[in-house]
Amino acid sequence: MKNLSRRNFLGMVGAAGGSSAIYKTSLAMGLLADTGPMAMLDLQRSDPGRKSVAILGAGIAGLTIAYELERVGYDCTIIEASHRVGGRNLTLRHGDIVDEMGQRQVCNFDDDPEMYFNAGPARLPGHHKRAMHYCKALQVPLQIKANINRAAYTHDTEHFDGKPMRLAEYIADARGFLSELLSKAIDKNAFDQPLSEEDQLRLRDFVRSYGDLDENGRYKGTSRAGYASGGFLSHGKIKQPIEFSALLDSNYWRRGLSSSENFDWGEPLMEAVGGMDNIVRGFVRNIKSPIVLHAQVQAIELQNQGIDVYYNHKGERKKLHADYCFNSIPTHLMKGIPNNFSKDYNDGLSALRPGNFFKLGLQMRERFWEREGIYGGITNTNQRINQIWYPSHGIHSQKGVVLGAYTFWGQSNFFERMTPDERIKFAGDAGNKIHKGYADYIEAGVSIPWGRMNHMMGCGGRMSPEDEKTYFELIRQPEGGHYMVGDQISFHSSWQEGAFASAEYALLDLDQRVRATATGMG
Amino acid sequence: MRNATRVRSIFALIVFAGSGWASAEDVAVIPPDELVYCTVCHGIQMRGNQNILAPRLSEMADWYVELQLNAFKNGWRGTHEADLPGMEMRPMAAALSASQITAAAQFVNATRSPLPEKTIDGDIAAGKRNYVSCAVCHGENGEGNPALHAPALTGLDDWYLITQLRNYRDGIRGSNPADTYGVQMRATVQILGDDQAMLDVVRYITTLHSD
Ligand SMILES: Cc1cc2nc3c(=O)[nH]c(=O)nc-3n(C[C@H](O)[C@H](O)[C@H](O)COP(=O)(O)OP(=O)(O)OC[C@H]3O[C@@H](n4cnc5c(N)ncnc54)[C@H](O)[C@@H]3O)c2cc1C
Repeated sequence: MKNLSRRNFLGMVGAAGGSSAIYKTSLAMGLLADTGPMAMLDLQRSDPGRKSVAILGAGIAGLTIAYELERVGYDCTIIEASHRVGGRNLTLRHGDIVDEMGQRQVCNFDDDPEMYFNAGPARLPGHHKRAMHYCKALQVPLQIKANINRAAYTHDTEHFDGKPMRLAEYIADARGFLSELLSKAIDKNAFDQPLSEEDQLRLRDFVRSYGDLDENGRYKGTSRAGYASGGFLSHGKIKQPIEFSALLDSNYWRRGLSSSENFDWGEPLMEAVGGMDNIVRGFVRNIKSPIVLHAQVQAIELQNQGIDVYYNHKGERKKLHADYCFNSIPTHLMKGIPNNFSKDYNDGLSALRPGNFFKLGLQMRERFWEREGIYGGITNTNQRINQIWYPSHGIHSQKGVVLGAYTFWGQSNFFERMTPDERIKFAGDAGNKIHKGYADYIEAGVSIPWGRMNHMMGCGGRMSPEDEKTYFELIRQPEGGHYMVGDQISFHSSWQEGAFASAEYALLDLDQRVRATATGMG
Repeated sequence: MRNATRVRSIFALIVFAGSGWASAEDVAVIPPDELVYCTVCHGIQMRGNQNILAPRLSEMADWYVELQLNAFKNGWRGTHEADLPGMEMRPMAAALSASQITAAAQFVNATRSPLPEKTIDGDIAAGKRNYVSCAVCHGENGEGNPALHAPALTGLDDWYLITQLRNYRDGIRGSNPADTYGVQMRATVQILGDDQAMLDVVRYITTLHSD
C-alpha cells in the first residue's frame, strides 16, 4: 500500500463497497475538499438537463436550495433583485453599499478586513444543527462570540443614579435576594405540600449555593459581584448589596436578565470568523448555478406543466420556464408581484406581517471598553439604542467596531425616521451616558433599518396565532410546483436556522414527489 | 418580448402579445434601475401592495405624480406623525432630483395593471349623492381635471381613498399653507361630514372604474 495515492486507495474502496463507501472513507480521511463538500440531504439524483428549477432570492434559503439541488443534477437558476448575494446575511466593510430606500449609504469604515459589522445575523448557537452542518461543509471557520458578559453593564437613566452597573453585581444580588426569600420560606415550611426533612436540607443547600447565602440563609453580599476593592494583594472587600427594593424597581430583570436563558442565546455562541457573510461566500464558492443579480421578479405564473417566472434584467423583460420554483421573496412583497396562485394561498402570504429590526455599527478609534475590563458581550440600557455590543474579535488591537444600537419591531420606527447622520449622533449621545467620552471615539458609522432596505421592507415575518392556524401549513405546502421558502416559512424566523430548515422541508417534499412519480412510471 | 414601442422617449413599452394569461399584465414598462425602488413597495407596474400600505398608482397622470412627489419632498406630505406610510414615502421623494421626479412621473404614467379589488363597503346611492360636490373638480366620472389640479379618482385603491379622505379631514394632509391644492381639498372634505358619508362616496367612486 506504500505507493498508493489517496485517490487510488479510494478507487479500491469504491470497487469494493460502492460510492457511499468512498464517501464515508473520504470523510474519515479528511478528504472532504477533494471530493467536494457533502450534501446534507440524500436527494434522488436527476439526470442533468432533465429538471429545471427557478430560485427566487439569493439569501440563505435560496443558496441552500441551489447548493443541494445542483449537486443531484437539477438545472438551477437564481434570480436576485438586489445588487448583491446574501439577502439579510449582510456584513458591512469599507466601501459597501447600504441600500436603504431613499437614504443610500456607503460604509466608511477603514479599509481593513477586521473592521466589519454584521448588519443582519451575528450569532449562532451550537444547536442550530443545519447552520453548523453547512458551516462545516462549506469550510466556514467559526469562533466563539461572547453574548452575555458579566463585566458589561446594565444601564438605566432612571435607576441607580443613572450609573452603569456591572451585570455581575446585578445578577449576584438578584439571586442573593431571591434565595434569601426562599430560604425563609423553607424555615417556615411554607409550601403547599410540607417538605420532608431530607428535601428541606437539600433545598436549603441548593438555595444557599444558588444565592451564595451565609450559614443562616441570609444574603450579605458575595464575591460573585466583583470586589469593592482588593482581591489580589489584599483580601477582597465584598460589595455592599444593592437595596432590594431598588433592584425590584429597576428594569433589567424585565429586559435583559434572563435573555441568556433563551436557548438560542445561551452561551457560548459563535460567529463566522471575519464576518457572518462568509457563510454566503462559502455557498457562492460551491455553487455553479447562475446567480442573476439586479433581476427583480415581475410575475410568477403556474402552468399546467411547470412555472413561468418573468424578471427584468438590464432593461429587458425575461422569461424563465422551470419545472419547480423555490421562492424566498419576502411574503409581504408578494402582493405587489402578479401571480396566479389561489386566493387562499395569497391570503396566507399576506397574513405574515413583517418586523423591522434596526442595527447601527460604529467604528471606534480606540478599544476603550477593554480598559474597563470588557471583552465582548452586551451592555443593556433603557435608552432607545437598547444595546451596545463589544466585538469578540481583534482583542487588544487598536480599533474595533461596536454595535451602537439594536432595536426591534415598533422601537425601530424612531430611527427609521432619522437620517443616517442623525442616528449616529443619537447613538453617540446615548453611549456617552454609559462610557465616558464614547462619542469622541466614533470615527465612522453605518445604520441598517431592515424595514427600509431595498427589496426587503421588513424582516422576520410573523403571523398572529389565529392566522398561523389558518394559513401556516397552507403556505408551507407547495402550490403546484411553487414552494414558498425562507425563515419566514418556519417557526424560527429571524434565525438563519429557520431559513435552512425551511429549505430542507421544501427539498424533502420535492424529493418525495419526484420519487413518487419515478416509481409511478415504473 | 414580441413587440417593443417607445413611450415618451424614455420607457420601452413592451407588449406581450397572446401571453395567454389574463391576470398578468399584457403591457409592461421596464423602469430604469433608479426607479425600481418605486416598484418594491408599490408593486410591479405600480399595481399597489396593501400589505405595506403602498397604493396602486398605475397610469396616474404624470402632472399629478410630479405634484405629489414634490409635496413629499417639500414636507407637505409625510411629516405628520400619524401618517406612517407617508413618512415611509418621504425619504424616497426627498432623494429624487427634479429631473428624476419627472422621469418617475412618466414611468408611473406608463404603467398598466389590473384595476384594484374592492375592499370596503358603502351605500352606492348615498355615495352618488355625496359625490356631487366632488364632481365639481374631479369630474362627473372621476376623470380628473388638470386645469384645477384635481387628479383622476378612478383606478385608485378604495382603502387608499378612504385613508386620504380621513387624512384631509383630520388635518394630516392639506394643513401646510404652501400646499394650496391640498388646503383646498381639506376645506372641501369637511362638507362630506361623517365617516359613513366618506365610505359611501368611496364606494361610489369605485363604480366609476372603466375597464
Ligand atoms: C437584524 C437581524 C439580526 C439577525 N440576527 C441573526 C442571528 O444572530 N443569527 C441568525 O442565525 N440569524 C439572524 N437573523 C436572521 C437571518 O438573517 C435570516 O434568517 C436569514 O438571513 C434569512 O434568509 P432567507 O433566505 O430566508 O431570506 P432573505 O435573506 O431575506 O432573502 C430574500 C431575498 O429575496 C430577494 N428579493 C426580494 N424581492 C425580490 C424580487 N422581486 N425578485 C428577486 N429577488 C427578490 C431579496 O433581495 C433577498 O436577497 C437576523 C436578521 C436580522 C435582520
